[in-house]
Amino acid sequence: MASPSEPAGRTPSSTPSAVSSFFNRPLPLYLSAALLRVVFLLYGLWQDANSPVKYTDIDYLVFTDAARFVSRGQSPYERETYRYTPILAWLLLPTAHKTGHALSDTALFSWGKILFAAADLVAGRLLERVLTKSMDAAAARKFAAIWLLNPMVATISTRGSSEGLLGVLVMALLSAVMARRVMLAGLLLGFGVHFKIYPFIYAPAIVWWMDSEKMSNAGPETKKVPTAMPLLNKLTSFITPARLQLATISLATFLILNMIMFTLYGPAFLQHTYLHHVTRIDHRHNFSPYNTQLYLASAFPATVSSSLPRIESVAFLPQLALSCLLIPFVLAKKDLPAAMLAQTFAFVTFNKVCTSQYFLWYMVLLPLYLPRSSFLRDKKLGVIALSLWVASQGLWLQQGYQLEFLGRSTFLPGLWLASLGFFLVNCWILGIIIGDVGRRPVI
Amino acid sequence: MRERITYVQKLGDSIEPSAVTVEGGTIRGPAIHAALEHRLTIALGELPFELQTLLGDTQDLHIRWVSTAAHEAVSPLLARLPPGFHLFTTLGRADVVSNTLCATLGKLFGDISCSTPAESFTSLPKDTSTHPTVFQYFQQLDSLSHLIHYAKANLCRESDTSCSARLDSLAKASSLDISYDAAQHVIRVTALWPYQRQPVHAISHPQHRTEVGILSVDKPKTLEAHEIGISGLLTVLGQDSKPSPTMFTFASRHRDAESSFSARFFSPTGLHPTLQLRISSNQTPSPSPSPDDDEDTHCSPYAYLTLPRTVFADKYQLSDPLYLASKNLTALRYITQPVDLEAPEYVMQQWGSAVLVELSPPQSFRGSSTQQWTAEIPLHLRYLTPTQGGYSTIDVPYPAVFWACEAAEGTEFPPNPFETANLGYDGLFDARTVFWHVEPHPADGGSQLLVNSVRVPVLDMDKAGWVNAGTAVAVMLGFLWAVWKLVAVYLREGYGARVESEKKTQ
Repeated sequence: MASPSEPAGRTPSSTPSAVSSFFNRPLPLYLSAALLRVVFLLYGLWQDANSPVKYTDIDYLVFTDAARFVSRGQSPYERETYRYTPILAWLLLPTAHKTGHALSDTALFSWGKILFAAADLVAGRLLERVLTKSMDAAAARKFAAIWLLNPMVATISTRGSSEGLLGVLVMALLSAVMARRVMLAGLLLGFGVHFKIYPFIYAPAIVWWMDSEKMSNAGPETKKVPTAMPLLNKLTSFITPARLQLATISLATFLILNMIMFTLYGPAFLQHTYLHHVTRIDHRHNFSPYNTQLYLASAFPATVSSSLPRIESVAFLPQLALSCLLIPFVLAKKDLPAAMLAQTFAFVTFNKVCTSQYFLWYMVLLPLYLPRSSFLRDKKLGVIALSLWVASQGLWLQQGYQLEFLGRSTFLPGLWLASLGFFLVNCWILGIIIGDVGRRPVI
Repeated sequence: MRERITYVQKLGDSIEPSAVTVEGGTIRGPAIHAALEHRLTIALGELPFELQTLLGDTQDLHIRWVSTAAHEAVSPLLARLPPGFHLFTTLGRADVVSNTLCATLGKLFGDISCSTPAESFTSLPKDTSTHPTVFQYFQQLDSLSHLIHYAKANLCRESDTSCSARLDSLAKASSLDISYDAAQHVIRVTALWPYQRQPVHAISHPQHRTEVGILSVDKPKTLEAHEIGISGLLTVLGQDSKPSPTMFTFASRHRDAESSFSARFFSPTGLHPTLQLRISSNQTPSPSPSPDDDEDTHCSPYAYLTLPRTVFADKYQLSDPLYLASKNLTALRYITQPVDLEAPEYVMQQWGSAVLVELSPPQSFRGSSTQQWTAEIPLHLRYLTPTQGGYSTIDVPYPAVFWACEAAEGTEFPPNPFETANLGYDGLFDARTVFWHVEPHPADGGSQLLVNSVRVPVLDMDKAGWVNAGTAVAVMLGFLWAVWKLVAVYLREGYGARVESEKKTQ
């Protein structure tokens, strides 16, 4: 799973020569990251061809089925459970192509996995670029390796899960923002929200970060916003050309994409890409702390009304308060990449549904925070946090296994307490991340 | 109203005409081993008013109830369906959204859990666009007791004890078939009792014609491969003074595969139960002892399942050839559209789904002995309503298992007196397909019923009291901890970018 463990937090100077020579040049790292994915991809092809248990993710079959519908001039939403933007199906159009040759057909069908794996590498490269702003290239590559050489990340993309595309989108967004390329950032933000909704949480952080000093690239020495400024001036000085540009471009991108998709595929596009997430019940067991309550509430919509309001109906409040308001406000200006990690971590932890692929959303940002985190500085704390994270998840998985495969009714109290335990461990880690970002010198 | 009573014996069994006495509208004979079929043909005008109005707009309506009790069937009364309450009908536009049909069915059969056809029924695939849509409905219905009660109160005169006695005998029937055909303006009610030892006895009724047949399967020399031969005695009560011998043949679509199967779930079932079919023979059924004559006919075994909405098959999972082969399946040939793959049972109105899978038997070679084999059908449970105790039991009926064989080119199957169409699966095959039925046997060690139960884990209501409050407390704790950390940062550093340490000390 998403283990913030891999390379230890040693400074580049103290690393043994073999390791440092590996990271001295980009080629060895990217070559091994690519090789890792090629091996996984080929192994997956072998397993799919020889075993009834498939390596390929079910979602990949959903995407490729949808691409097949598109290639026949139909709507991708003809495929049940296709809940994505049509762009994903378009990207995978080559998978629907048949040549009649078994070998080239297999290669074509794997096109999407190749794309997702390539997206991993690009995300890794962008990670390195953002990291080099605060450290030398070899150290940056070492931290980027947490993502690039992570077997979990490589597995997810070569099994055909599209989360890797999000990784590259979010990293591209961050890297565009750090490079003060507002236009590009706006396009990426609008596209990212169209693609998977959740990147909207980054909008407030980026906007807040983009103050006039940051955009003039002058650094903190010229910091001159006086605390005694009248409120009206504060407000007007908040509205900067860069902020306006970002808001306009991202909103326009989002709306134009949606209008195009709506024109092409009608209400089915809105229903499956967006409205589904509003109406879904999420009653099936998952890591979310709300899960048991959601099952209960969906089974008895009106009857279990007690004096207490139902917690799941206000679940968005703590989630959005943290990820869209408080974390951006307090942390974004201090360290944007780490603030975005904290936002994503909060968003996933407080979400009404949570599965392990959601962990990938914050994993891509982890290497940007880890270099000076307490978890690496204080090894004991790091080991405790990682062990707790793994153990509380293991406990949940054990209860889930009993339910799913042995048919034991572990919903209460086992699964419920396990999900609350995992949630609290995540909250504790979130608190430490927040503290770290607040303590950190400016990059 | 007309009545037809038929005793059907097995091949080789027959009864001497002299053993039967016909006297003043009564027929009597010795006890024989036979299956018994009663068929009433009723004109629309003879029905109670409420049933007339119900049928008024319908073009045709077929209700088939099959008992969960295992029973032996006899050729030609072979057509099998999964046990339970089946309904096939074509409906007018207004009937689809009205709850009249469901309400009337409930009045007749008791616990029928459909709301309106639009919500609860599914539609069968259409052969042509001009055909009206045929709707399908199925649910578990263990007994006809409600129908018997209703019929006694509404159809029998109070003094008529034989009327209510006959209705009572329905409790032991193995199947009941109610078919309405608008073209003929008649409704046919056919009840079938299993093969067992019973005396021959029937009394005519003054208002209607009663015909009694004591028949057995025969194999005359002229019999063709696709035909069944029948011989025996026919008597029209009140008209004939003695039974008259008869002999006839007809082309039959439903034949006996002379093998059996049982079905059970692998244990533990978990949330993804696998139904295992254990089939006694892998030999292709054949009408003639030497298989040489029909070498080019193609036969495959199939299982037809009617799954209640608590459980479903995933058509996407059943599309991978390797996966299918590992379960001894060839392909998923039909599944009701659509089947929601995610919804919990308690938000669904649709009755469930019908599934036709082609099975893949181990190859049989000529002359080799028959081999028992298995096939596995992977299914998935929906989440069910929470209960006290944390478990809920659902029943999954046995499927119908049969070999489907293509009859030779040019063979025709005109309607015959013993067979019915509209079984749900027959429409999924070519009109020349012959169904060789495999007899369902209860699995060892289980109940003697053609139903498998699954214990489904659900949320335990006894322990649910603290879920809302407990979740709220945990979320509040986590939230407040994160907020507290943010506040601490804010108080120490403010919201702005952190200044370099030497700057900050100013």
